[in-house]
Amino acid sequence: MDYRKIGVLALAVAVLIVYAVRRPATVTADGDLASVNGGLKSAGALAFGPDGVLFVGDSIGGAITAIDTGDRTPVASAAQVNIQRIDEKLAALVGVMPGDILINDVAVNPISKNVYVSAARGRGPDAAPLVVRVDGSGKLTLLPLDAVKHETVSLADAPDANPSGRQNPRTQTITDMAYVNGNLMIAGMSNEEWSSALRSIPYPFKTASKGTQLQIWHASHGRYETQSPVRTFVPYTIDGQQYVLAAYTCTPLVKIPVSDLKAGAQVKGVTISDLGSGNQPLDMVPYKKDGHEFILIANSSFGVVKLHADNLGQYKPIDSPTVVDVAGAPYDKITAVTNVRHLTQFDNSRALVLTSAGGGGFGPATGPFSLQTVALP
Amino acid sequence: MARSFFVAVILAVGMTAAAQPVSIQLDGNIFKVVGQPAGTLTVYAGTGDVPPLAGRTVIENGTLVFRPTYPLAPGVRYRAVFTPRSGAAIEKTFDSPSRRVTPAARVERVYPSADVLPSNQLRLYIYFSAAMSRGEAERRIHVLDADGKTLRGMFLPGQELWDPNNQRLTMTFDPGRIKRDLTSNRAMGPPIAEGRRYTLVIDREWRDANGAAMVDAFRKTFRGGPAVRQPPDPTTWKISAPAAGTRDPLVVSFGRSMNYTLLQRMLRVAGARGDVNGIIAVTREESEWRFTPQQPWAAGGHRLIVDNSLEDLAGNKIGQPFDIDVFDKVTERITTTSSAIPFEIR
Repeated sequence: MDYRKIGVLALAVAVLIVYAVRRPATVTADGDLASVNGGLKSAGALAFGPDGVLFVGDSIGGAITAIDTGDRTPVASAAQVNIQRIDEKLAALVGVMPGDILINDVAVNPISKNVYVSAARGRGPDAAPLVVRVDGSGKLTLLPLDAVKHETVSLADAPDANPSGRQNPRTQTITDMAYVNGNLMIAGMSNEEWSSALRSIPYPFKTASKGTQLQIWHASHGRYETQSPVRTFVPYTIDGQQYVLAAYTCTPLVKIPVSDLKAGAQVKGVTISDLGSGNQPLDMVPYKKDGHEFILIANSSFGVVKLHADNLGQYKPIDSPTVVDVAGAPYDKITAVTNVRHLTQFDNSRALVLTSAGGGGFGPATGPFSLQTVALP
Repeated sequence: MARSFFVAVILAVGMTAAAQPVSIQLDGNIFKVVGQPAGTLTVYAGTGDVPPLAGRTVIENGTLVFRPTYPLAPGVRYRAVFTPRSGAAIEKTFDSPSRRVTPAARVERVYPSADVLPSNQLRLYIYFSAAMSRGEAERRIHVLDADGKTLRGMFLPGQELWDPNNQRLTMTFDPGRIKRDLTSNRAMGPPIAEGRRYTLVIDREWRDANGAAMVDAFRKTFRGGPAVRQPPDPTTWKISAPAAGTRDPLVVSFGRSMNYTLLQRMLRVAGARGDVNGIIAVTREESEWRFTPQQPWAAGGHRLIVDNSLEDLAGNKIGQPFDIDVFDKVTERITTTSSAIPFEIR
């Protein structure tokens, strides 16, 4: 027997065994949660930036983390996504009951079309933040922040005087984010004061730069002006000019020119639609179809609507009390898609929806949840 | 009886004579394969078409172990499957301890504490005695009318605004109904109507962070009062200055109820030698702020410094109403960030 051959064979077997043993592991972390989470205290709003960079809003940590997903392989034509019971799969991946998974947001990598989900493992203050990639085959992979390149920018102001040593009860919940012209724009709501902070931070992050904070206002019929937090917004180009379309917490959908978003500015959005009463837009997807422009909007209580957006450039600020009402852009109700909790663009002809058997909007987060691509109507 | 004993003896003899039998064990948070290091160990924490539990498989001191990325959670059944290089796979299930279900949490306080809330009341702050579960507010908090009927569309739906300890929840009445002239406001009116009676109900079934229901449900009745449109004006506040040399509290009376959480950090006292350290108390349905210094008051000029973001119950800030009537020239926006009110300690 050739002992060298035996040695090579033994080495090959050892490598195979080690490979086989390691194969089930989906992360390389070793039980050290602080390390796995990379300092992230919560994983909320998601947005993609350039080159596969994923921004994760951390409301509890008062920070944004930019993760280099390394996910930069383009796909020419992505397959349909249809993942039933995504909450149960996430729960199994991290070892909890499905009711202990709270899905916070979904985003699609515009390059690879892989889906990213942010969630919490647990419902209490010690819940672990999760960022999970779902590829075209439905495989779930945890993104361990200790093993991927990432950087974090803090949004927190200087800590309040806190003589009792307790944790500062004040938080700024990040309601939405979008990457627009080299800046990450962040909308949020305070759990204490009524503020309307819309923040713009240049990316790549600069040391100690918390970016520009803007006051966003809303006028009803030119008469009553309110500082108005933005719940959801999306970049949009009208007649060659860059805007954001924003939905205020007080319901109207407005357009705001990005050129107005300057430090110290008090910005007032121009109303293009008001889908009240008692309704809140959750997510918006602008798209073009058959030579026309539309915005697909998922709502808290109105279901999904398709707004006709060909004439958004014509809407002007209403600054006179003689204007009785805003006609608003026309829209169609889309009854084919129901129970939507999150909506995001998948490609030019499809959207991705997270739906819940417990109902859409902001109703009780009861599963099972599903991730599906749907044709843009 | 005799036969089963005989079989058991044979098995025991067989096991001692052969190699150590392969078994899967759970040791704390770690799954182990005893007796056979070569193979794969996969753990599942769910049934059906689910991925394996995240974790890391390594060989430690000749033993194949699986370390889950996250600690084992209560109430979960784990199924560990060991597939040796040859031979049949073996599997074993482990049940983690069930959740503690002894109720311990309750609603301690709700602000505003008054029984009459303005019809443009903006926010509620609910203080719990223990950390609570997220994602339940929508179905656990109700407002009933005088007939006990649940009212819909009272609160802003969406993200729950918790403090980092999950012990204080901020609820916002639908601002689209509060802000005058919006579609929601015109169609539905403000969430609270002047003169009507309401009951705030928080269900006992709301789970705390450990999964246990609360000790009791919470109920608070209140009546709708007139809307508050004028912003708070510090020049109208009554300041009762204590005597020099005492540690008696400085008492500031606002003449209306203010936002409890903001009163904890938006007022401070400065003397000739900088900020005065002391303890804050908020009393009289949040219409009074009492400040007890750590050291006796020094005689001389002092200032009460007010952050102009301080709000009353309706979200009116100092010099800035919640919804500014731009045709009403009486209200003008204040652009400074703070105001100072001088007072003398004698």
